[in-house]
Amino acid sequence: MELEDELFNDGLPKAYYKQNDKGQYVLETNAPWAEKVSVALLISGNRANLEEIRKAVIAGQKSPLCYYIEMRQLTPKMLAKAAGIAVFRVKRHLRPEIFAKLKPSVLNRYTKALRVTLEELKTVPNI
Amino acid sequence: MTTELITQETLANGRTYIHRTAAHCETGVTCALFRDKGLEISEPMIFGIGSGIFFGHLPFIKQTGLPISTFRSIPGLVFKKAAKRLGAKVFRKRFRNQQKGMDELRRVIRTGQIAAVTTNVYWLSFFPRRYRFNFSGHNFIVLYENENGFRISDPALLEYTTDCSTEDMERARFARGPMEPRGLMYYPISINPHPDIRKACIIGMQDTCKQMLGIPIPLFGVKGMRHVAQKVIKWPEKLGYIEACRQLAHILRLQEEMGTGGAGFRYMFAAFLQEAGELFGSKELNELSNEMTAIGDIWREFAVVSSRIIKQRKTKSEETFEKAGGLMLICAGREEELFKNLRDVVGKLKA
Repeated sequence: MELEDELFNDGLPKAYYKQNDKGQYVLETNAPWAEKVSVALLISGNRANLEEIRKAVIAGQKSPLCYYIEMRQLTPKMLAKAAGIAVFRVKRHLRPEIFAKLKPSVLNRYTKALRVTLEELKTVPNI
Repeated sequence: MTTELITQETLANGRTYIHRTAAHCETGVTCALFRDKGLEISEPMIFGIGSGIFFGHLPFIKQTGLPISTFRSIPGLVFKKAAKRLGAKVFRKRFRNQQKGMDELRRVIRTGQIAAVTTNVYWLSFFPRRYRFNFSGHNFIVLYENENGFRISDPALLEYTTDCSTEDMERARFARGPMEPRGLMYYPISINPHPDIRKACIIGMQDTCKQMLGIPIPLFGVKGMRHVAQKVIKWPEKLGYIEACRQLAHILRLQEEMGTGGAGFRYMFAAFLQEAGELFGSKELNELSNEMTAIGDIWREFAVVSSRIIKQRKTKSEETFEKAGGLMLICAGREEELFKNLRDVVGKLKA
């Protein structure tokens, strides 16, 4: 409930077509309930995923790169294209022990593609 | 809350541009571009002439890991088709090189010509949080350059014009992933101020019927709807309840959220049929418009039933996936009937 209201009360409504009393179509700005529910479900799912990955990174099971891929809603394939690194290498870098040994030149490519700073890329936010 | 909010902007060469809200990004943008060239045309009209209504299930293109069920034709096609049918000359180009793409945009807007660009929604920071996910098919109009970056007009989202930083713009235009925009930029060069709208409407409607009924692949058109409906019914067994809810939510998101004007463009198409009915003075088209509205209402009902399923996923609701799939099957049946009728009606119309 709270999430839906939080998401949709930012003062940026979208327009929808609706019939008025005379049967003509006009624009109105009330978001349908179904939209709120589905968006809330998908976003809460994404947030839960991100949180899970964050914990896994802190526990040392995954590399921080994993976290930033999820944060930017990318897949290793998309990141590979954006950063200009082969997919199999990106997938290898998801392992923490390999990620820790990466050269700055490779990390810089990731920072550009993911729009994070180098310090950020090495760790995850610890809340 | 029916409002027609208008914001004015002065372009580089001193002309004024009037910003108006619309329901969908591409039709809104097309409409604004044509209006800027002196052709007054409404948004639903563009949608109908450009044959925007469609249904397709694309399990091979994934968005955040979920297959796409689209309610519209491929992004970019509406503009292309509408321009062709209304006799407009257009400039439409993708760029391999980022720098060249940005330079060309700057050059064009400096001459006072407004240009539409296709972007990835995720990287646009003026967007509300809830809409920002990787979807490379959002269109808006760039008006001119200022100290903050670019002044843009987004008819689908905002009631006013806004600023977009240069970095955001570059990233959004050249984002990588499925359906890459590759800096697509387009604008009409010239347009016939008095086009044959009746003829354009007829071609548009014929094409629409072909799209919905005639594609011999069971993923598109009315057949696609049936395919998805049957999938929906099987989901809870096949994928488990939670995953099935996610998939359903994704359909709903595409149906209601992505600037469809409600019920997966069905209301917008009904508005087009209504306008066309007035244009031709045809009662049949008006009746079809009412039928389309009724179908839109069923889509809405499908959305509400599905939302209840999602909402009560922890307690297992009385609404079932069978009911949701059943509603979709009803939609498919009624739409098939409607488009067959429309085909007959269009055959009798005279341009």
